[in-house]
Amino acid sequence: MLPIVSITIFLPLIGALFVMTLRKAPAPVVHAIGIGISGLALAGAAWMWARGVNASGFAQVEQFEWMPTIGAAYRVGVDGISLPLILLSTILFFLTFIYSAKVRERPHAFVVLMLLLETAALGTFAALDAILFYVFFEVSLVSMYFMIAGWGHEDRQRAALMFFIYTLLGSLPLLLAILGLYLGSDPHTFDMRVWIDNPPLGGMAAMLALVAMLFTFAVKTPVFPFHTWLPAAHVQAPAAGSVILAGVMLKFGTYGLVRFALQMTPDAFREAGVVVLAFGVVAALYGAFAALAQSDLKRLVAYTSVNHMGYIVVGVAIAALALDPAIRATALDGAVLQMVSHGLVTGALFFLVGMLQDRAHTREMSEFGGLLKVVPILGWSFVLAAFASLGLPGLAHFPAEFQIFLATLHVEPVAIIVILGIVITAGLYLRAISAVFLGEPGKKWASMPDLSLREVLAVGPLLILTIMVGIAPFWVLNIIHKTTSMLQF
Amino acid sequence: MERDLAFMIPEIIVLLTVVFALIAEMLRQARLAFVVTLLGLLLATVMTVPLLGENTSVFDGTFRIDMLSIWAKLILLPATALSVLLARSEIGGSDREGTVYVLLCLVTLGALLLSGAGDTMLLVLGILLAGLGSFALVAYPRNDHATEAAMKFFVFASVTGAIMIFGLSYWFGGTGSTQLSDLSRLETKPVIAAIGLIAVIIGLGYKASLVPFHFWAPDAYDGAPISVAAYMSVVPKLGAIFALAQVVRDLPVSTGWPLVIAVIAVLTMTYGYLTALAQSNIVRLLAYSSIAQAGYFLLGVIAIGASPLAFTALIVFAAAYAAMNLGAFAVVMGTGRALDDFSGLGRTNIAMGVAMVVFLLSLVGIPPLAGFVGKFLLFGASIDAGFTWLTVVAILNSVLSLAVYLRIVVPMYQQNDAAPASASRPAGLVTLTWGIAFVFTLGIGLAAQVIFAQFS
Repeated sequence: MLPIVSITIFLPLIGALFVMTLRKAPAPVVHAIGIGISGLALAGAAWMWARGVNASGFAQVEQFEWMPTIGAAYRVGVDGISLPLILLSTILFFLTFIYSAKVRERPHAFVVLMLLLETAALGTFAALDAILFYVFFEVSLVSMYFMIAGWGHEDRQRAALMFFIYTLLGSLPLLLAILGLYLGSDPHTFDMRVWIDNPPLGGMAAMLALVAMLFTFAVKTPVFPFHTWLPAAHVQAPAAGSVILAGVMLKFGTYGLVRFALQMTPDAFREAGVVVLAFGVVAALYGAFAALAQSDLKRLVAYTSVNHMGYIVVGVAIAALALDPAIRATALDGAVLQMVSHGLVTGALFFLVGMLQDRAHTREMSEFGGLLKVVPILGWSFVLAAFASLGLPGLAHFPAEFQIFLATLHVEPVAIIVILGIVITAGLYLRAISAVFLGEPGKKWASMPDLSLREVLAVGPLLILTIMVGIAPFWVLNIIHKTTSMLQF
Repeated sequence: MERDLAFMIPEIIVLLTVVFALIAEMLRQARLAFVVTLLGLLLATVMTVPLLGENTSVFDGTFRIDMLSIWAKLILLPATALSVLLARSEIGGSDREGTVYVLLCLVTLGALLLSGAGDTMLLVLGILLAGLGSFALVAYPRNDHATEAAMKFFVFASVTGAIMIFGLSYWFGGTGSTQLSDLSRLETKPVIAAIGLIAVIIGLGYKASLVPFHFWAPDAYDGAPISVAAYMSVVPKLGAIFALAQVVRDLPVSTGWPLVIAVIAVLTMTYGYLTALAQSNIVRLLAYSSIAQAGYFLLGVIAIGASPLAFTALIVFAAAYAAMNLGAFAVVMGTGRALDDFSGLGRTNIAMGVAMVVFLLSLVGIPPLAGFVGKFLLFGASIDAGFTWLTVVAILNSVLSLAVYLRIVVPMYQQNDAAPASASRPAGLVTLTWGIAFVFTLGIGLAAQVIFAQFS
C-alpha cells in the first residue's frame, strides 16, 4: 500500500529543497511551485480522507525503526481527531500559497519557509511517536519565527523574538512530560499508541506530567493568562503568517490537549478537569471582552481566536469530567469540529483583513466606513465570515459550539455562562461591520479596487466550506465521531 | 605489556604525529607538518574503530579502554583535525606555523589521557599536558592581548593545578592507592573524600571552564587565534568532562558528589548564558556559551551510576557539541569577531548564513539537530537519576540560550543597506570546516542510532 501519509508530510519538504536549488528562477515560477506542491499535499490529504479511519485506534499507520535502542521510531498515522486537522491544514496552506502569489520580497525564502512549515504542521498532527511529534512541533516554531521576522510589519523583530522565546518556554515543559512518560513506560518506548492504551504514569507523577503538558498547550492554544504573545505576533505577522498561525498552529495546542493531556494522563485530567474548565471559561470570556476593546481589525480577530479556543478547552474539560460515554463523545465531537471551524472561519477573516490592509494600509476601524458599497465582494465576504465567527446557525461554528454547550449543560451546568461569549462576539462583530462597511463611503476609499481573481480564489473556498460545515456537519463529524465514540479512559 | 600497547595504538600514533610534525617544522616545511598532522589524526581515528566494544583497562588499571575513552578518541581526534584545518587557514604562511599543529596534537593527547584516566596520577599528567600546550597556543599571536590572556590562563592553571594535586594527596592518604577504582574505600572517610572531591572539581573544573573556575576562558579565547579558541572550547574541555565522569564513577554516592556537581551545573549554565547576553564580541559570546554548555554535560555526569542513559547522553552530546561549536567558530572565522560583522550575512552569503542558524539552533537544542538529541538524553538521564529540579533549571536555561543565540541570528537577516564589510568569500578551508560540521550537526541529529547501537 502506498505510504500516502508520509508522502503527504514530506512532499512539501522535498518541494522546499527543490526551490532552494532554483536560485535564479523568477518569482512567478517559485510561487507556482509552491501552489503546485501544496495542491499535491491537499490531494494527498483528500486521499487519506477517502481511506478513512477505523474505530479501533489509529489507521493508515506507517512506521520504521529510527532509534530502536531508546525506543523511538518513525511512526505516523491518523484517527478521527487528527485527520480533519490534516485536511484543514492542507486546505489552508494551499489557499495561503494562492493568496501569497503576490509576494515579491525574497519569494524563494518565503516559499521555502511556508513549505517547511507545512511539513512541520502535517507531521505534528500525524506523528505517533513522541520524539517525532516534538521534532515537528519545534520545527514549526522556527519556521514561523523566520516568517514573522522576515515578512512581518513595522515592529516585526520584537514580535518574532517574543513569539519564539515565549513558545519555546512553553514547549519545553512538554519535553519534561515526554521524558516522564518515557521513563514511566515499561519497556521504555516513545510510542504514543502504547502511552494512550496504557497510560504509563499514575498518581503524583501523572499530575506533574499533566501540569507540564497543560502549561505547554495553554501557551500554544493560547489560554488566558498565557495569551499575551498572540496579539503581538498576529499584528506583526504578514497575512499569510497570520492565517497559518491562527488556522493551523493554534490547533497544535488544542490537539495536544486531547492527544497528550487527555489521552495519556486521563485520571489526572479528570481530577484537574474543573480547573481546566475554569481556565477555558475565563479564556473564552476574556477573549471576547478583549476583542470588544480593540479598534484594530486584526487584533480584534486575534482576540476572537482566544475566545473560540476557549470553547475548545471547555469542550475537552467537559469530556474529561463526563461519566457518560455519549456525553463525552458529544463534547469531544464539538471540540474537534470547533478546531476545524475556527481554522476555516478565522483563516477567511485574516485573509480579508490582510486584503483590506493591502488596499488601505491601515486596519483602524475608525478610518473606514461604507466600504460595502465600494468593495461589495470583500464586504459581503467579511460579513459572512463574521457571522460565522459569532456562531450564527447554518455556519461552521454553530454545530461545534452547540455540541460543546449541550455537553456542558449535562455535566457542569454552571459553566454555561461561557455562552455569554457569543453575545459579546455578536456585539463586537456587528460594531465592526457597521464601522467599516456600513454608512456613507469616505472619499478617501472611493477608488479602492474590489477583490481580484486571485483573492477570490483564496478566500472563496473557505467561505464555501464554512457553509458546508454549517449546513451539513455530518461529513466531518462522521470521521470525528468514529474515534471519539470509542475512546476509553 | 604487548597487549597493553595494542590498546594504546591511537595515542601512540598521535605521539608519533607530534614527532614527525615537529621534525617537518624544524626543516621549515610547514606545509608538510600540516599534511602529516592531518594524516596522523585521521589514521589515529581509523585505528580507534577496532577498539569499539572493548571494556578493559591497561597498565595495571591506570588507563581505561572503555566507552568514554574510545568515544573520546572518535570525537576529539576529528575535532582536532577540523581545528587544524581552521588553523591552517588562519595562520598559514606565518612564522612558527608548524608548532601550532604540534601543540594542538599534544594538547589532544593530554585530553585523551584525561578521558581515559583510571589513576589520579594520570589526571595530573593529562591536565599538565593539556595545559602547557594551551598556554603556548593562546600566546601564539605574540601581541599584548594574547600575552596577557596567556599569562592569566597560566597563573590560573598553576594555582588550580596545585590545589588539585594537594587535594589528591588526601585521597592517596585515605585509600593508600592512586587508582580511581579504589575510591570506594572512601565510603567511611567523608572528610578526606570531600577535600579530594573539591580539589578535583577545581582542577578539572578550570579545564572544563565550569563556574566559578571559568574566569580565564573568555580572555583566553578572545586573545588567541579564533581557530585556537574553537579548539580549546571543544577538545580540552571534553577531555576534562570525561575525566570528571571517570572519577565520579568510582566515588561513593555517600560523599554527596551528585548534589555538589548539580549545584555547579546550575551556576555554570545560568551564569554562562546571562553573561553571554551582554557580549558584543562574538568570540566572547561563544566563550560564555561554551561555559554554559559545559553545565549541560554535568547533567549526564550526575546521572552516572543512577541511570543507564548517562554515558550515552554524555557521548552523544559531546559529539554534537564538538560539531556545532566548531561549526559556529568556523563561521565566525569567515565573518568577523564583532556582532556587527554579522549584520546582513544571511543575505550576502546564504549558505553560510543557513549553516550558522543551524549551528546556533542546535546549540539551543532545537530538534531535529544534534544538540537536541544530546540535550534530550541528558535531560532523560538526570530525570532518571532523580534530579528533575535540575532538568527544569536546564530547560529554563535553554530558553535563555535562545535569547543569546538569536542575538546573532537577528542581525543576520536584517535589511542592511550599507554593504557589509565581509562581503568577500571566506577561504576554502573555512568553508570545508563548517561544511563538515554542518553535515555532522544534521547527521547526529537524525542518525544518533549509529552511536546508540554501540551501547546495546
